[in-house]
Amino acid sequence: MIVEVAGTTLELLPERAAYWPERNTLFVADTHWGKAAAFRAHHIPVPGGTTSNDLARLSGLIKGTGCRRIVLLGDAIHAREGRGALDAVADWRAGHANVEFVLVRGNHDKRAGDPPPALRIECVNAPLLEAPFVLLHHPEESDKGYALAGHTHPAVKLRGKGLQRATLPCFWFTQRVCTLPAFGSFCGNALICPSPGDRVYAIAGDEVVEIPGIY
Amino acid sequence: MTRSRASKSILDWFASRGWKPFSFQREVWEAYRNGESGLIHAATGTGKTYAAWLGPLMEWMEGDGESHPPLRVLWITPLRALVADTEQALRTPLRDLGIPWRMESRTGDTRSSIRAKQDKRLPTALVTTPESLALLLAKPEAREQFSNLHLVIVDEWHELMGSKRGVLTELELARLRRWNPGLRTWGLSATLGNLQTAAATLLGDRAAGARIVRGIVPKTVVIDSLLPEHMDHFPWAGHLGVNMLPQVLAAIEEGDTTLVFTNTRSQCEIWYQAILDARPDWAGAIAIHHGSLERKLRDWVEDGLRAGTLRCVVCTSSLDLGVDFSPVDRVIQIGSPKGVARLLQRAGRSGHRPGVTSRITCAPTHAFELVEVAASRDAYRAGAIESRYPVERPLDLLAQHAVTIALGGGFRAAELLAEVRTTYAYRDLDDIEWQWVLDFITRGGEALRAYPEFQRVDVVDGVYQVTNRQIARRHLLSIGTIVADASMDVRYLTGGRLGSVEESFISRLRPGDHFFFAGKSLQFVRVHNMIAQVKKAHGEPGAVPRWDGARMPLSSELAEAVRVRLEQARRGVFEGKEMRSVRPVLETQAEISAIPGHDELLIERVETSDGHHLFFYPFEGRLVHEGLAALFAWRMSRLRPITFSMAMNDYGVELLAPDPAPIEEALAAGLLSPANLVEDIPASLNAAEMARRQFREIARIAGLTFAGYPGQNKSVRQMQASSGLLFDVFVKYDSGNLLLEQAHREVLERNLERSRLGQTMERLSRSKICLINLKRPSPLSFPILVDRTRHRMSSEKLADRIRRMTA
Repeated sequence: MIVEVAGTTLELLPERAAYWPERNTLFVADTHWGKAAAFRAHHIPVPGGTTSNDLARLSGLIKGTGCRRIVLLGDAIHAREGRGALDAVADWRAGHANVEFVLVRGNHDKRAGDPPPALRIECVNAPLLEAPFVLLHHPEESDKGYALAGHTHPAVKLRGKGLQRATLPCFWFTQRVCTLPAFGSFCGNALICPSPGDRVYAIAGDEVVEIPGIY
Repeated sequence: MTRSRASKSILDWFASRGWKPFSFQREVWEAYRNGESGLIHAATGTGKTYAAWLGPLMEWMEGDGESHPPLRVLWITPLRALVADTEQALRTPLRDLGIPWRMESRTGDTRSSIRAKQDKRLPTALVTTPESLALLLAKPEAREQFSNLHLVIVDEWHELMGSKRGVLTELELARLRRWNPGLRTWGLSATLGNLQTAAATLLGDRAAGARIVRGIVPKTVVIDSLLPEHMDHFPWAGHLGVNMLPQVLAAIEEGDTTLVFTNTRSQCEIWYQAILDARPDWAGAIAIHHGSLERKLRDWVEDGLRAGTLRCVVCTSSLDLGVDFSPVDRVIQIGSPKGVARLLQRAGRSGHRPGVTSRITCAPTHAFELVEVAASRDAYRAGAIESRYPVERPLDLLAQHAVTIALGGGFRAAELLAEVRTTYAYRDLDDIEWQWVLDFITRGGEALRAYPEFQRVDVVDGVYQVTNRQIARRHLLSIGTIVADASMDVRYLTGGRLGSVEESFISRLRPGDHFFFAGKSLQFVRVHNMIAQVKKAHGEPGAVPRWDGARMPLSSELAEAVRVRLEQARRGVFEGKEMRSVRPVLETQAEISAIPGHDELLIERVETSDGHHLFFYPFEGRLVHEGLAALFAWRMSRLRPITFSMAMNDYGVELLAPDPAPIEEALAAGLLSPANLVEDIPASLNAAEMARRQFREIARIAGLTFAGYPGQNKSVRQMQASSGLLFDVFVKYDSGNLLLEQAHREVLERNLERSRLGQTMERLSRSKICLINLKRPSPLSFPILVDRTRHRMSSEKLADRIRRMTA
């Protein structure tokens, strides 16, 4: 799904990422690496495999889009206790050494710490200016450009004929801010309340579907 | 003291109170002193307590008469609310007979000074709940403290035996029996259809030869009803309406002290408000009572009932059990009682004086409840008694119990396995399941899928034990949560506690919103430290909290009685005032559709603005209908891509789709066929995501989700995930996990073994199909049509479905 925003184009992908062809850059938000491992460290038995599965999805995106650069909009690592899972991230990183990787720090990153230098992930504080975009973690309007953010794990609740309901992760574009869905698969989500004029694109299985007028 | 002298003391004590022991009480005393265990069944308020309690007192008098002996008798009760009264009832003979026993209770409400004293030495007799007992067993000194135990009495066993709390009690009894091989167990129960199973669950591998003692035969019960003045304006659906308020007020006027029973806490709050609004002059003389209210408030109400100072109490099942309120002379049931046993239990709360019959008056909230009242009277007269079915092999609970025992001094695997297998619930536990539980608590999963960071229980020299204090603390906090969904205290800003409400309700409130709770109009201020802070509200009333789990299915006995009444109505026979009152509604049903005959399956098809509806009426009760809805939807969705939303009540099932469903084609293709059920049922339950919902409770008991505790820090909150998300992660990354299997098994047992989905399909496949197209919904369909709590299933590609939904 290709959308026009702030005078440029973004391709919204059902793997929960947005590709920016103009700069050959892939945006993802909220990977929460090692979340399940952190649960296990707290004696809650959650199965392993979520982080490596998410990394495989990211590899697929690099291959599919041919991007040279990834910008992660905050919350790379879920918690300090889950840093054990970073071995898998390091292995993955070694397989994609020629891709540039930038993390715009979010709230989890403050407690969990930056990825180790060996991962060669450049860590910067929000906001990162990259005209026409302002890249940050918390979805906030900025006077410096159109904001791309994560943090809230947006989802949209749909109702249809026959008392149907569906709740799907989504991309949410307001006049000044776009919130990306959480990339991590072991992440909950929060329902959005869009206003008139907003655009919402839901992830429905292997497709991205525009949701017209749901406010 | 000799045996006969001890008996004489007891008889003298009875005589001093103007009583004479019933023969069943003598039977139990004798059996107890001969070392037997058993089950006593009778209606409440008929002397079961003293039947169980006086045996051990006689035994003590006969024996050495040791003063202040260590713990001898443990009394387990399902409700904390019953503890104080039980304690009082048990204390009376101790006092009168001058027996120097320390007699105390132990619950979450017990003061810390008393706890500390009890931790040094338990009293001679202790009244407690299954959860509080689990906490006692989690102490390293437990074995020594319980080493002199003679008897465990489990009160209201019928309430416990059908739940995981009952299984917890079974595990606790197994442990106590291993420590004290001579331990005797007596259960007190209402009369059930399956008393042998009740005894088997209570006594485990010692059930052979258990004595089942029948208490005194219940008094005659009068079941009548309040009738709406005009049927034309009486609703066909809903259970929160107060249309019958004038009749209910008049009935309250007739009595001195009236109990108004409601089926849900929301209904309770609504009726209390309605009565108070209509009769402000009764302020102070009417009260509200339900399980979520602050204990002090409930105590005040119970004291008022005993003293006869209250004119009326609006309550829920919180007043079904235990305590005898002699002044109560009128009992009103709002809405359907859903089962004969429950109706009789509630009726029994009135007319405790000799020679007075019990009476219960039902006030319908919608038309078909009149049929249910007539049917429940039929079922009562025919002696139909409902059964309670125990929970089989819940591994979530076994894992929880194993951690408890690991805390309480640790265990060796083979010993605990042998002990656990003495219970009824785990009698068929196989080695693979047991190994899985051990792996789960030590490594978090099966050996091959070990999670190295995880270690809840350590194994040191073959002994499983908990060494980490954080785990210990968390586990102790979670033990009490078998039944309770995450709930939040409701308090005034000034600190006064009103009770507790499900967190999900609070989360939907915004600051400033008004809601009714504890019979008061409140304004929500904020959530602070896991406490919902409120202040008194003025002006517009607001929402009433809805508590989960409030929907009680119609018992199969009552469902059958309803079918018989409808068959009569179909033949034009309307017997009794309820049936005559509801006649116009049934005639409307016959006119625009049909009244289903006993050997017919009625299917109605109708289109509304919501879409295309199909209604099936098997009359098998809500639980079977849950399974049938999933099965019908699944079989039809195999024929073409289609999306259904499903609703059900005790009478029937609705499948609603945006487009017409291929019903004729499906009927021809074997929609009702009993063939392939072994494959189709699990597939359909899966498609309807029923196991996903069931997983909620399992995740809580197995310690996957944790409600948290006051003052928790951010790092704890970061370790919380919803049970739905966990379910999805397990399905994807650890699909062989036995907790998932348990979720499937619980859904299957609930819908299959228990309520015979298969037999229902056999019956339906032989029924005459009566498919009728309607122009507007029939009275029978109405209660299902308006139900917005729905399950969903789709065989469409998700993106296609979303496009069609939003087109």
